[in-house]
Amino acid sequence: MKRKTKLILLVGLVGFFYTCTKEDFEGPSINNLYGNFEIIEPLTLTNDNPNFESNEQVGFHCKLNKPVEWKITIHGLTTSASREITGFSSQIDSNTVVWNGGPAQVPFFSEEFCSVELSFENEIDTLRDTINIASAKTYEDGIWFEDFEDGLPTEGLVYYNTDGGGMTFSVANDGALLGNSYFKMGGRVNWDWVLGSLDLPLNITNVSQAPDDLFINIGLLSDLDDLHTGQFINILISEETNTPFNDNLDNNASDLFESTMEVYKMKIPVDWNGWQLKSFRYSDFEPRDPNNPDIVFDMNPNNIRAIRIACQACPSSSGNPVCPENFGKDVRTDIDHIIFTANAALLDQ
Amino acid sequence: MKRCLTLILATFIVFGTSYELTAQIKEKVWFDGLARSYFARDAIDQTNTEDTVSAKNASNGYNLLDLNTHVNPIKDIEIFAQLRIRNSFGSFFGSGTEINVRQLRAKGTINDKVRFSIGDLFLKQSRFTLYNYDEELSAYEHDMLKPYRDILHYENFYTENRWRLQGIQTDFSFKFDRFIRTLAFDFFVTRPRGSSAISGNTYSSDLLLSGGTMVSEINKRLTLSANYVNLFEVASSGTENISVRNPVYDLALLHHFGNDKHHFTQKLETGFSQRYWQHSELANEIPDSISNQNEGMFFELENKYSKNDSTLSVSIGYRYVDPNFRSAGAQTRRLDYAAGKSNTIYPLYTNMSIQRPRSVFDLVADDKIYNQDLSSNLMVFNPIYSNVLPYGDASPNRAGVYLKARVNQKSKALLGKIDAGFFKEVIGQGTEEKRSFGLVKAAVKLNMHRWFNWSKELSVSASSESEITNRGGDAISSVNLFSHQLNAALSAELAKRFFIQASFKQFHANGNEFLTERDNYGDITYFASTQVNQKDHMLSVGMLYKLRENVYANLQYNWWGMTFTDQAYSDYKYNRLLFILSVEL
Repeated sequence: MKRKTKLILLVGLVGFFYTCTKEDFEGPSINNLYGNFEIIEPLTLTNDNPNFESNEQVGFHCKLNKPVEWKITIHGLTTSASREITGFSSQIDSNTVVWNGGPAQVPFFSEEFCSVELSFENEIDTLRDTINIASAKTYEDGIWFEDFEDGLPTEGLVYYNTDGGGMTFSVANDGALLGNSYFKMGGRVNWDWVLGSLDLPLNITNVSQAPDDLFINIGLLSDLDDLHTGQFINILISEETNTPFNDNLDNNASDLFESTMEVYKMKIPVDWNGWQLKSFRYSDFEPRDPNNPDIVFDMNPNNIRAIRIACQACPSSSGNPVCPENFGKDVRTDIDHIIFTANAALLDQ
Repeated sequence: MKRCLTLILATFIVFGTSYELTAQIKEKVWFDGLARSYFARDAIDQTNTEDTVSAKNASNGYNLLDLNTHVNPIKDIEIFAQLRIRNSFGSFFGSGTEINVRQLRAKGTINDKVRFSIGDLFLKQSRFTLYNYDEELSAYEHDMLKPYRDILHYENFYTENRWRLQGIQTDFSFKFDRFIRTLAFDFFVTRPRGSSAISGNTYSSDLLLSGGTMVSEINKRLTLSANYVNLFEVASSGTENISVRNPVYDLALLHHFGNDKHHFTQKLETGFSQRYWQHSELANEIPDSISNQNEGMFFELENKYSKNDSTLSVSIGYRYVDPNFRSAGAQTRRLDYAAGKSNTIYPLYTNMSIQRPRSVFDLVADDKIYNQDLSSNLMVFNPIYSNVLPYGDASPNRAGVYLKARVNQKSKALLGKIDAGFFKEVIGQGTEEKRSFGLVKAAVKLNMHRWFNWSKELSVSASSESEITNRGGDAISSVNLFSHQLNAALSAELAKRFFIQASFKQFHANGNEFLTERDNYGDITYFASTQVNQKDHMLSVGMLYKLRENVYANLQYNWWGMTFTDQAYSDYKYNRLLFILSVEL
């Protein structure tokens, strides 16, 4: 009896061990990691004639025998706009790997034919297809938006140094980023940093996003012809809620950017040729006067009341040779399409 | 001979250290501790032609005194403080002198019944719950390298396979006159890691380890023990809302019997673990949840036969450890190959200043590469040095049999021991094929002086440790790795307590393996294929003067290096002159 009990116990114990672990093996398959690369299912598109204006998307599908680094490149045959989507997986899932019509950087896609290439790291295989864009994506869906198509906003305030040369602080209509109009900011002030600024009032009290989820997007234009190497844009955002936007009517600037107020800043060096669309999280802005103990920098998008886009450059004159290489050069930091977006940058939407 | 003694005496004078402290015992305050003088001069071997950038030689050393102060304010309480004074050679007037408190502990007994300790604790439970396993390749080493190992263990608080932790511990026991004979309890709560800043506004949580042991001698032949240990984070002590939990349960039954010549012991030990991450205090009132949960069990059956005169003992056992068995207290390794610690001695080599691959010499001589912190995840190991049981007996995903045998002659003229094990993975890694492991370690020591009844000691020893790993299947996933360590040593007592020693250590590894990469939750994410064909060597000659047990002066010279075949690394060779004077007060 005793022996029988022991035997039953032993059999039960052995059975217990072999029921503990159900998996076939731990970790990814070594054969997948190190075996020969194979395409199981070819590249297919869910929509080869998308209407991006109606928020249609293009999904990509492909199945491979092992996880690899893959890259989808979409190239506009007319505009030369391009977009890359990358990943590391054995399956490109059309539900998650999608394109909504935006480029990685300007220029934007228009109604045009696009080539599509799917390539794999360290593999010679490349899969190709085409997309015919029926209607291009629009970029006006944001929390707040200014594109200068109707000229300068009525409440907007423009200030520039009137002693400077060749000042261009006005709306222009030659080669905008989107639409027909944009705001030119440039000129020459050899003895001072400040060239001028554009102040716009804002009212986004209904915004629910946290600073991490609020994006400020702005198109910036410069050219490399005789580039002023010390030029930059300063974006200031004011959360001053107790002072009117234009309290002092004599100074051509908003009164929401005083050193006693809750103001955040972002400095953007401008050193490229042509238009670029830049996007920033609001939480990446820094307090402009962090040492002022009377200001509470609690960064609340609901309290944003104004934005200032200031054009500045490293000065150079015989009396102030900070950047001697820029003496006599014109600054150019034109802007267009200022848009606040929620949860993602404009081009990622 | 006299010249040797004069040399040692002169060396003492050169380093200008006098050890006149003696253990002082008084009624309420008494002292002990350790003093050490250490000097090492490392040099590139002349055959290293590929490195003209590194210094040809470098020397360093220090004097240190660890003064243990024991204060007994009342009969049942002792306050212990270990104060370290360390002075690096080449520093003057205190500029290179460090003074710090190395250990603090209060311990005592309440009413002669309950013992307690607060402060630095050295804790150990079963081999599956809380156990600090020996570092690899250290089990069969000759005494010549003992000064190195002594420093390594002392500096890293490796004592009797215990983990050094800070917290509170208590134990008490009962004796019974019926049903059972004794019942003993031990409980502890420690904090292996405090909250610390991860970045500007984020802080990691406190990591705590708590546990308990119950041991009961049921009768003269039967002992039952149970262990519980839990490693867990206190989410509220940091800003992270995710915290690990790793409770481990262990139950062992020990049966022993014998007569006046023979003794038999049978041990049955089993238990299981859980590990998961708890998500708590989430935004928008999302309820708490858990993720990455896994559970695993282990089982061990061991039979041991021993002669009461200690001339023979043999153990045979079977062990099964589930792939998902996780026990931070037992699976934390002394050596973490992913910790980013570089070698202390010549960390860079060749004219390209690349990181020097770690050698057997570094494992022996570099105490800075070792770890003192418990890890909730399986740490990275180097399969070259320990592929069969990288996490000791608690290594997950192993099932197999093992054998341990010890043979001693009554005269102690011949000592021998064998450890062998044959294991297989419970499930495969990256493939359904399972690895098979073989482990054979053998050592023999001949005490010639006992054989021939000489008054002066003369001993010869040799050991061999082999590990083999195999996995069949297709050419892509198959594994074949073999490693072997050979030790040979000679020790001769020329004058009373004065020894001349020589030892040779060679390590060879050849084959291929896949290095396992894991994510933050311990899940395997990748297998990095690796090919090895390398040979490490370490030749040492030296002399030892033992003033008494644990008081010795050792002078030795080491030739060491590595050679690689068909690998991207360059060979290297270095030499070292080492002097250690160690005095246990």
